[in-house]
Amino acid sequence: MVLTGAVRMSVTGHSRRRVLAGAAVLGVAGLAGCGLLDDEPKPPETTDPLQPLLDEALALAAAYDRAVVTQPGLATRLTPLADDHRAHAAELSRLIGKSLPSTSAGASTTDPGAGAAEAVADLRAAEQTAQRTAVAACTAASADRAALIGSIAACRATHAEALR
Amino acid sequence: MTERTTPQLGAALAAEEAAIYAYGMIGVHLVSKGDVTEARAAEQAHRGRRDYLVGRLSQLKASSAPSPAGYELPYPVTDRPSALKLAIQVEDGVAQSWRPVLAVTRANDRATALAAMTEAAVRATRWRCLAEVSPVTLPFPGRPE
Repeated sequence: MVLTGAVRMSVTGHSRRRVLAGAAVLGVAGLAGCGLLDDEPKPPETTDPLQPLLDEALALAAAYDRAVVTQPGLATRLTPLADDHRAHAAELSRLIGKSLPSTSAGASTTDPGAGAAEAVADLRAAEQTAQRTAVAACTAASADRAALIGSIAACRATHAEALR
Repeated sequence: MTERTTPQLGAALAAEEAAIYAYGMIGVHLVSKGDVTEARAAEQAHRGRRDYLVGRLSQLKASSAPSPAGYELPYPVTDRPSALKLAIQVEDGVAQSWRPVLAVTRANDRATALAAMTEAAVRATRWRCLAEVSPVTLPFPGRPE
């Protein structure tokens, strides 16, 4: 295609510069045209395959925070685990190229009325589910992302162990 | 898996060999049933990973360096605290040795490497719990400190 384009240009005698300038003008016109169609829905942004992992890290950190509010006696045990998830979220958002939301609206995994043992059991189950997500993501990941996702998967497994 | 993976597999093998040696030293200083059971299970797991790696490297027709007859321990292991400290260090080191394998493998081989790294990280956490070291987890197991 590039070659046929070049041949045609020489046949019609158009200089390359004029063709490019024309394209630039058309480009501007095209952008101006978009302004008329502002009500049209924007095409959906392509979601990074790591987005679910990031959402999960934020939801887990929030779940730990809620458990500490309802069970202050668990703070020493749970706070370092919540910090791990926030460290994962920071690394994942850097990799995806997005800034983190200031707050997260994760689904509640702990029932405020439940006791300490139930809170820990709920968090442990959430960690096991999250570990499976991370293992699947690591297996599907490109080579340059596999190590980081693998570490996140391993960390979630150690959390489940720490909550036994 | 190709020849490209050989250096990473070789490094993981060296770490597994070192872990098997270290657990010999560690076991001597453990008395309680819980500690001893944990150490024996860990040593068996490392032997299994070593055998897997020897088999994989042999399939790749790669010669691995012979394991040294002995190792210099980073500090004298003389009692339970120093034995548990070494066990934590050994498992962290094994996790670090498997992490680079993830980038050079795919599918089942990557899943095996991830399982090996994860199990080492989980054992490190169990040893930290037994040694009452806090925190008991690392944010990125396998990542060099």
